[in-house]
Amino acid sequence: MAMLEIKNVDKVYSSRGKPPVHAVRALDMAVTKGEIVALLGSSGCGKTSTLRMIAGFESVTSGAIALSQRRIDELPPAKRKVAMAFEGYSLYPPLTVRENIAFALKAQQLSRGEISRRVEAIARLVEIEDILDSFPRAISGGQQQRVSLARALVRDADLYLLDEPMGQLEPQLRAVLRGRIKGLLAERGMTAIFVTHDQTEASALADRIAVMEDGVLQQFASERELKNRPANLFVASFIGEPPMNLLETGVAPADGGFRLSVGSDIAFQIPGDTLDQAARRSLEQGNRVRVGIRPQKVAVGTGDVRVRVVSNQWLGDQSHVAGECAGHLLIAVTPNRIAARAGDVIPFALEPRHLHIFGADGTCIRHAEGG
Amino acid sequence: MARLELNSVGKAFGAVRCADDLSLVVEPGEIVAVFGPSGSGKTVLLRMIAGMFEPDDGDILVGGRSIVGAPPERRGIGMAFQNFALFPHMSAQDNIASGLRAKAKGGELTSRVTSISRLLKIEHVLGHMPRELSNGQKQRTALARALIGNPEVLLLDDPLRNVDAKLRYEMRLELPSLLRRSSAAVLYVTQDYREAMAIADRIAVLIEGRLVQVARPEEIYARPASVAVARLFGDPSINLAEVTPHTKQADLTAEIAGTKVRLDPVDQQAADHGPCWLGVRPDDLVVTRTASEDAIPARIVAITPMHERAVLLLRFADGSEWLAALPPDSPMASADDGVFVRFAPEAALLFDRATGLRVGLPHRRQAA
Amino acid sequence: MDHSSLAGRIFRGVALALVLVFFMFPIVWILMMSFQTNEQILRIPPHILFEPTLSNYQALISGQLRTTAGNLEIPFMRNLMNSFVLSSAAVLLALLLGVPAAYAFARFKFRLGESIAFTLLSFRFAPPLLVLLPLSLYYQQLGLSDTYFGIVWVYQLIALPLILWIVRGYFEDISPDIEHAYRLAGHSWREAFTRIAVPLAGPGIAAAGLLSFIFCWNNFVFALILASADKQPVTVGALAFVTASGIQYGQIAAAIVLSVTPTLLLALYAQRYLVEGLSLGAVKG
Repeated sequence: MAMLEIKNVDKVYSSRGKPPVHAVRALDMAVTKGEIVALLGSSGCGKTSTLRMIAGFESVTSGAIALSQRRIDELPPAKRKVAMAFEGYSLYPPLTVRENIAFALKAQQLSRGEISRRVEAIARLVEIEDILDSFPRAISGGQQQRVSLARALVRDADLYLLDEPMGQLEPQLRAVLRGRIKGLLAERGMTAIFVTHDQTEASALADRIAVMEDGVLQQFASERELKNRPANLFVASFIGEPPMNLLETGVAPADGGFRLSVGSDIAFQIPGDTLDQAARRSLEQGNRVRVGIRPQKVAVGTGDVRVRVVSNQWLGDQSHVAGECAGHLLIAVTPNRIAARAGDVIPFALEPRHLHIFGADGTCIRHAEGG
Repeated sequence: MARLELNSVGKAFGAVRCADDLSLVVEPGEIVAVFGPSGSGKTVLLRMIAGMFEPDDGDILVGGRSIVGAPPERRGIGMAFQNFALFPHMSAQDNIASGLRAKAKGGELTSRVTSISRLLKIEHVLGHMPRELSNGQKQRTALARALIGNPEVLLLDDPLRNVDAKLRYEMRLELPSLLRRSSAAVLYVTQDYREAMAIADRIAVLIEGRLVQVARPEEIYARPASVAVARLFGDPSINLAEVTPHTKQADLTAEIAGTKVRLDPVDQQAADHGPCWLGVRPDDLVVTRTASEDAIPARIVAITPMHERAVLLLRFADGSEWLAALPPDSPMASADDGVFVRFAPEAALLFDRATGLRVGLPHRRQAA
Repeated sequence: MDHSSLAGRIFRGVALALVLVFFMFPIVWILMMSFQTNEQILRIPPHILFEPTLSNYQALISGQLRTTAGNLEIPFMRNLMNSFVLSSAAVLLALLLGVPAAYAFARFKFRLGESIAFTLLSFRFAPPLLVLLPLSLYYQQLGLSDTYFGIVWVYQLIALPLILWIVRGYFEDISPDIEHAYRLAGHSWREAFTRIAVPLAGPGIAAAGLLSFIFCWNNFVFALILASADKQPVTVGALAFVTASGIQYGQIAAAIVLSVTPTLLLALYAQRYLVEGLSLGAVKG
């Protein structure tokens, strides 16, 4: 059952004397109860406009939004049964942290004991017990963000909206808090949508990620699906750290399949049986395609692609090796330390089964095997 | 070329001690990252070297000559700022050329601007004003301006802070070779431990105005000097437990959440040490479904995939929480499962509970 | 979120018109008066339609004021010239002194810095008459009374604090790192001031200059006490129209139109800078 349904929603900002800005285009999205969804994209992609339309701070230009089978896009924010944590925290300055968190609960007419029990519990979860009686101006940015999160999560609402909820958190706390909040949301069966530009945060917290660009929803799927089966070139290059290696290759039919090559240095033999009808047709028509391979799938020290090492960086738990071949920079990530130094020539293995192939319009025509 | 030397440099603003007895040598051609949490005094340190503040005590030498008291323009220093600090009313070209400190004229000036901008891939935007540049281009222009005068000392104040993740990654690959070309002594301030490890020859860890450890990146990661340093390196950061190690029939053990775990016998001297912090990195944990004597029972609170790994938030019987980072396709797939956590004895680091300093013999961490 | 309903739009139009009429009425009325003779002006009820005459302007420009009691000489054009000279000189001097001072207040923290800056501002609070009496005595002893220099000097009380506070805010808005970067590139602080700080604070300096020009132009009381007829600006010169044989309303109106026009044009031309200068600089100061 869909908890939140966004149907064909458009948002156009028009101001006199300027061309109208189409911030969100024909957005269709359904979020099931208990799901955690991330709206991910770079700035100006429409993710924040979407969140604000759900919250009711922006009107919908066209289309409909329904929450628990109730149309909400015409309702004022207070009647939508949504809780929100703002990017700028928006804490009430004259109230203490405790009063800030309890503020929304007072409207729910709970007993004083129940309110204080809930506040204490959420404060423990985000580690702000020791600052409950401080005022917002006296605490650090990271602490303010945790208070803002607590104030949203403590409420009873149909939907929790979080705008860049963890951007300012102290790095040492971030991983634990992500785990705790995800655990809390799952345990209570809370439905949440959060906006972020940080894909690490999106993949850590979300069950499904909606990747947006230019106001258009590019793909809405689990983190694993986005990585293994990116819908198009944008998603492929946007998702993944470091980004996917992309090469433009020539196409020639060979041995019942296709031979994709970059100059004379790199060549891949794609067997015909790994391609579906549409992919075959696309390869037969186009003479150039783009192929992508994740840095984690590039093996170092074996293989037949010889690269000149540009940099070799050990980060404590993984090596990032960048090598140049035929004018392309290829990046490999391995959990092992690599002995090569800049300027050395070493082999990289780029296996054809790990390649994603993208057609002329950017859509993915063949995914890598098993991701 | 000249080396940069700091001799017990100290600086206080009112009651706040921003730099406390800092001593550091940066050789020509070497990149030293100054790494620490925000407010640890990194920026103040750079600004003392650049001449925006003078140190209260100690000395700063470039090529054996003290620069304390000299005006910034006579210190032979190039600097790139976090907020770029480009001159908004000058084109990128003029911004870069201003760094030549009126030494070169006419043809030579133009040719040097051209060659440095080719190196930084900003030739095509030389005529643009700063407001027309993207953040990445701004940062490259600022770097070009800092590099063009061939300074003896190069100071980079968190230069990648304000560029987007993709560009930051690219620059992280590119910067070391670019900086080494100039054979300047480079101090690179950053708040990102991965950036520090990727770029620097050595890392100087600055906490509350003190240098706690100065060493090669892999050395710091494997053998952090204190619990504070250990917590700064690694994402997710290191798991900690309060323990009191003791010897039992030649075995060194410690109790974590009611389970006795074995520690590396070479850490014997920790036996008499009293209360300690025990630290284990999330990627050194092994999570299984089968119980064993030295495995700590835990419940999975949540799974948060991160950096191509599955990060598990584990809760022990006593309520304490640890994180485990597993390969992405490991079978521990669902939350709320009961599991058992183990780690190799040599993976554990011990720190004194009172001082935070590491105890025991050097930790051995083998690289493949 | 959308306020553009029909009723809303009508209400907004009416409200705007009311405000406009309220503020524009005196200006329009003065303009009309300047084209009427005294008799026409004093008719009751007043007429909206009339036969315009240029006699008022003629009288002002020729300096001959015809009244029922005979001809009267008025140096109106000279007054106008005086206004120009005094205000421009005062603003120039204030910029020369005020911009470096504003930079010092913005960049360097020194003992009593805030107190000095505030003292300078407080000159604007005191009623001018408070200082004028002792000042005129000093001026007579120093020989500054009834000199251009003396008036320009006393105008610093108006222009200097204004320039100091507006420009200071502007300098504070410029990231000091930009100047640091310029100095590290091998330039002295003087060069950093002239080539970086001053050009970047340009709009603020222009706004402060314009604003203090207008304030100096409109000043009345300083010049009234300290200047004699041939050094008087228009504000004081207009007093001459109150003659023994009656008040020359038509000429007063024409004089006002002539004296307001330069500042009005200046303000309209520099409107954008003025608003920016005031909202950006002064608020932060």
